Amino acid sequence: MPSPTKHIFFSPARIWAIATNTLLELFRLKVFYFLLIFAIFLIGSSAFMIEFTFQEQFQLLKDVSLGAMSIFTWLLAVLTTAMLLPKDIEDRTLYTILAKPVPRLEYLIGKLLGILFMLFIATLLMSAIFVLALYGRQQYVLAETLRTSVGMPPDQLAATLREVHNSTFTVSLIPGIAIIYIVAAIFASLTLFISTFASSMVFTIMVSIAVYLIGLLQGIARDYWLGNVTTGVLPRIFLAFVALIFPDLQLFNVVDDIVAGNSISFILFAKTAALGGLYTFIYLLVAYFAFASKEL
Amino acid sequence: MSAISIRHLTKVYPIPMRRERVTAVRNLTLDVQPGQVYGLLGPNGSGKSTTMKIVLGLVSPSAGSTHIFGRDSREVESREDVGFLPENPYFYKFLTGEETLHFYGKICGLAGDRLRRRASELLNLVGLEDARNRRLGGYSKGMLQRIGLAQALIQDPRLLVLDEPTAGVDPAGSREIRDLILDFKKRGITVLLCSHLLSQVQEICDRIGILHKGVLVREGSLTDLISIDNQTELVLENASPDLLSQIHSLAAQSGAKILSEHKPQTTLERYFLEVTSQKN
Repeated sequence: MPSPTKHIFFSPARIWAIATNTLLELFRLKVFYFLLIFAIFLIGSSAFMIEFTFQEQFQLLKDVSLGAMSIFTWLLAVLTTAMLLPKDIEDRTLYTILAKPVPRLEYLIGKLLGILFMLFIATLLMSAIFVLALYGRQQYVLAETLRTSVGMPPDQLAATLREVHNSTFTVSLIPGIAIIYIVAAIFASLTLFISTFASSMVFTIMVSIAVYLIGLLQGIARDYWLGNVTTGVLPRIFLAFVALIFPDLQLFNVVDDIVAGNSISFILFAKTAALGGLYTFIYLLVAYFAFASKEL
Repeated sequence: MSAISIRHLTKVYPIPMRRERVTAVRNLTLDVQPGQVYGLLGPNGSGKSTTMKIVLGLVSPSAGSTHIFGRDSREVESREDVGFLPENPYFYKFLTGEETLHFYGKICGLAGDRLRRRASELLNLVGLEDARNRRLGGYSKGMLQRIGLAQALIQDPRLLVLDEPTAGVDPAGSREIRDLILDFKKRGITVLLCSHLLSQVQEICDRIGILHKGVLVREGSLTDLISIDNQTELVLENASPDLLSQIHSLAAQSGAKILSEHKPQTTLERYFLEVTSQKN
């Protein structure tokens, strides 16, 4: 007869197995094909930039690309996460996993980690497409500048070419893209939490959208109400509660700074990343409390 | 120590938006000894699946307790020694047969060569070695049941919980699964089996429990339960029809051989229907 097996209380290997399996599932579901839409969108938008100055072209390309990256990563985070847990429950694969010595917390961590890996790869691929588009635009502008610079003094030409180079790739692009990824991670964790108690995938997605909108608007609402001296105590408490529960997405909005060419300080980036990490962790924790007592 | 110990188990489900409640299992007590094949039977809605889910820690009891080899079912460690095959299992369709076993093996703590060897061994055991690289989305019902059995065995458990293991499987496949279960029994693995195929249960189970509306109405050894007390059965060899009315003396005089003498049995199916129709 087989002998009793010793239980490992917390196993990174179990979490890793679930995470890599989740990533494989999303890969074989061909979620990355949506990147084609992103690429087509970017290439299509480039066609309308020819009428602008090169600085405006680069700003527009960055604005459009980073904006699209924000939306696409957010959409990917919400839509893929919303289907994972309900699918496992409906197909009864969750029963076979939790009938093994897998704590529910490890299952959730593994699922979230798999989604975060997928989002990381998607962000990397979109960044590559964006960099290629920016590089292509830069080469086009350089060629045009050379073509139209006949008779221009060499110093002036060199200065123009230098300005083209400096306008293209700025240091703030990297932390900016990292913050886009962090916002997607927050919403992946939030969507996972909602899916632990939601009765349908549609409900999960609708609530995630609602939280996204609250996140976008709460800063404006807060400034308006707190700036008004007649606002009572209860509304102030309510606003504080909303600020705590829902992430203020204005704090994560660095696209305008990147497009303007402003640098993002390391301290600011570190604070923003830490805040994003905290929200991700707290939503995961709350997801565990909801899932731990869920009857299957 | 029992393989499964259930004490005064009760499970009540509240119905949302109403004041009513459904009692799925009521004060259930039973033991499954190590090495036994135990059949848990009952009509649809009798509480079998609820009982199994509580034993596996997927659902919490309203009252009472369940233990697996002495460990509380609510603790994750109790599942170290358990393999589970749910009814109509769906596994990840995007995985191949081999990848499926690797996945379940990894979450059970297996790795490297040990896992690869174990997966190959099980694919061979359940007759799926030719389909190891095919995705589960392309598997037939019988193949899914067999890969399900293989994943239940991946960590070499001491207890197998099988919910309708032959449901939807053709007679040949059903026989193969039955033979596998008998082989598990020989190897000392305890099996808790839920099945509506009473003829099959009769072939392989040592003990059965019959649930009806959440209550254990009958429980005991299969032989004792389905024996008819006031009758005796004789098996004769080379006996002519004339000997039947004066069996013992005529058999000795004519040279016929009495091969066995035991209580005749009804079929489990008939017994099951009698018991549950009485309770109605």
